[in-house]
Amino acid sequence: MVQFKPGREVMVVGVGLHPFGRFRDKDLATLARESVVEALKDSGVGWRDIPVAYFGHVYYHGMSVGETALASLGLTGIPIINVENACSSGSTAFWQAYWGISTGMYDLALAFGAEKVPGGPVTVTAADSPDRYIGGDHMMAGYALRMRRYMEETGAPASALAQVSVKARQSASLNPYAHRKETFTVEDVLSSRPISDPLTLFQCCPTSEGSAAAVLCTREELGRYGLDESRAIRVVAAALTSGNYNGRGSDHSAFSPYRTEPAALQAYEMSGLGPEDVDLVQVHDAATIGELQQVEALQLFPKGEAWRATVEGRTALTGDLPVNTDGGLLAMGHPFGATGIRMVHETVIQLRGEAGPRQISNARVGLAQCSGAGDVTTVHILAK
Amino acid sequence: MPESPRKSPVSVDPGRLRLDSGQTPSGVLIGMRCLDCAIYVFGQAVFCQACSSSRLEPADLSRTGTLFSYTIVRVPPDGWPGPVPYVLGEVELPEGPHILAEVIDVAHEDLKIGTEMRLALQEVRSGDSGPTFVVYKWVPAMTATFQSGEA
Repeated sequence: MVQFKPGREVMVVGVGLHPFGRFRDKDLATLARESVVEALKDSGVGWRDIPVAYFGHVYYHGMSVGETALASLGLTGIPIINVENACSSGSTAFWQAYWGISTGMYDLALAFGAEKVPGGPVTVTAADSPDRYIGGDHMMAGYALRMRRYMEETGAPASALAQVSVKARQSASLNPYAHRKETFTVEDVLSSRPISDPLTLFQCCPTSEGSAAAVLCTREELGRYGLDESRAIRVVAAALTSGNYNGRGSDHSAFSPYRTEPAALQAYEMSGLGPEDVDLVQVHDAATIGELQQVEALQLFPKGEAWRATVEGRTALTGDLPVNTDGGLLAMGHPFGATGIRMVHETVIQLRGEAGPRQISNARVGLAQCSGAGDVTTVHILAK
Repeated sequence: MPESPRKSPVSVDPGRLRLDSGQTPSGVLIGMRCLDCAIYVFGQAVFCQACSSSRLEPADLSRTGTLFSYTIVRVPPDGWPGPVPYVLGEVELPEGPHILAEVIDVAHEDLKIGTEMRLALQEVRSGDSGPTFVVYKWVPAMTATFQSGEA
C-alpha cells in the first residue's frame, strides 16, 4: 500500500548533536536545546526563518517539552509538534519534517529529539498492563527470543553475535560523542552479565541521555536563505511503516523483524535506488541480533548471511559496507527520541566527509533505519 | 462464625483468557476467527488483521502448541511479580498465533525449540497487597501429563 507523491526535493542543511551518556545536571529541555543550537549554527539558518519544529521524545518530562526547549531561543509563534513513536520518535519527527517540506507546506523545518532513558529493562506497556503479570513485556527478552531463532536457523555461533558489539565499540572509540567508548573482545562480551539468555549485558544497548537535531530545506529555496548547496545532503527517501501482524501475534522470527522490509521497499522505490547502491548504513542495533536482522531485512545481505559478513569484517569501518559507523545504539547509546536523528547526523557528516578518524571512503549514499515498539520502522536514504 | 466466601478468580485479561465459573482456576485462551480469510487472532479484534474483514467470530484457541523460542530472563522488568530468573516462552498455536508467557515446571537444560507445550493457569499476586489475577503460563506437555490440576 505505497501511497506517496514526492514533491519538492528536500535537503539536510545542518545537523547538531549533544554527546550521549548521563547528564544529571541537565533537564530534557536543556539537552534538546543544545543540539538545536548546534544544528542552526551548522546550517547557517537563522532561528527566525524556521517555520515549523518537530520534537521526538518518549518519557514524560511535563507537557509540551518541545516548546520549553525552544523557549529560550525566542518563541516565534511557529507550530511545534511533540512526537511520540517509541524508539522511532526522532526518526518520525524527521520524516514529518521531510514531508512538510516535500509537500510544499514549508521551505524549512527543524527536526530534533532528546531523551533521558531511566535505567533497567525497558518496557512498552503501562504499569498496570496485564503484560506485567504475564512477563512478556521486556524489550531485551524479545530480542533474545529472536536471537535464539536466528542462531537455530542460520547456525550463527554466539561469537558472531558478540562480534557485532565488538565492532560497535571499535567505531565508538573513535567518536567523542559516544556513551561507551571502551573497546572489548568477543570473550568480554560473552562473559558479561547475562540479561536474558542468550543475550549478555554487552550485547544490549545502554540506556542513555542525549539529543540530536537536523535542519531541512527545500532545494529550490536554498539560495533564498543563503545556504551552501555544497554542504547540503539530499534526502532521497523517507518511509515510515507500523506493524502488520497477520494474526501471528508475538512473532519473534529469525527474519524480517518489525516489518522493516515494507519500509525498505518503499524507500528503494521512492529513491530509485537499490540495496546495491548503498555505501553506508545505520540500523537499529538495540541488541546485537538487531543489527544482523535489520541489514538482512534491508536486503543488504542475503537472509542468514549477515553474521558471516560481520565476522569477515565487511560491516566494519574498513569493510565494503560499513554498518553503524558511529557505534550505533550498542555503543553510541540510545536516547530514544534522539536516536533516529543521530543516525541522520552520522550519515550527513559521513557523506560530507567530515567524520574525522572514522570517515569511510567514497560514500555517496547512506541509509538510516530506526525501529520502535508497535513495529514502527523508518527508513531514510540520503545522498550526496 | 461463617467463613467469608472466597472471591472468584479474576482473569489477568478477560479479552485473552476466559475463565470458567467456579473457585478453581480453569479456562481457555480466546481470540477471533476471520470468516473471510480464516486466520485467527489472539485476543480481541474489530477487523481481521490480515484482510480487514469485519466478519469475525469469537473462537477458543488450542490448549497445546509448540515452543517456537524461549529465553531465561535474569533481569526482570518493573512490576514482574514472579520468581527470578524466569523462563519466557513463545508458543506457536496450531491456529497460527504466537503466545508469550512464562514457562513453569521445567529445568532450563530441558528447554528445546519444538517441544510440545500445554496451557497452565496460576493465580499470581503482585506483592503482598496487590491484586490477584489468574495468569496463563506454559508447561511442557510431558510434565503436564504427570501433574494434576492442569488447565
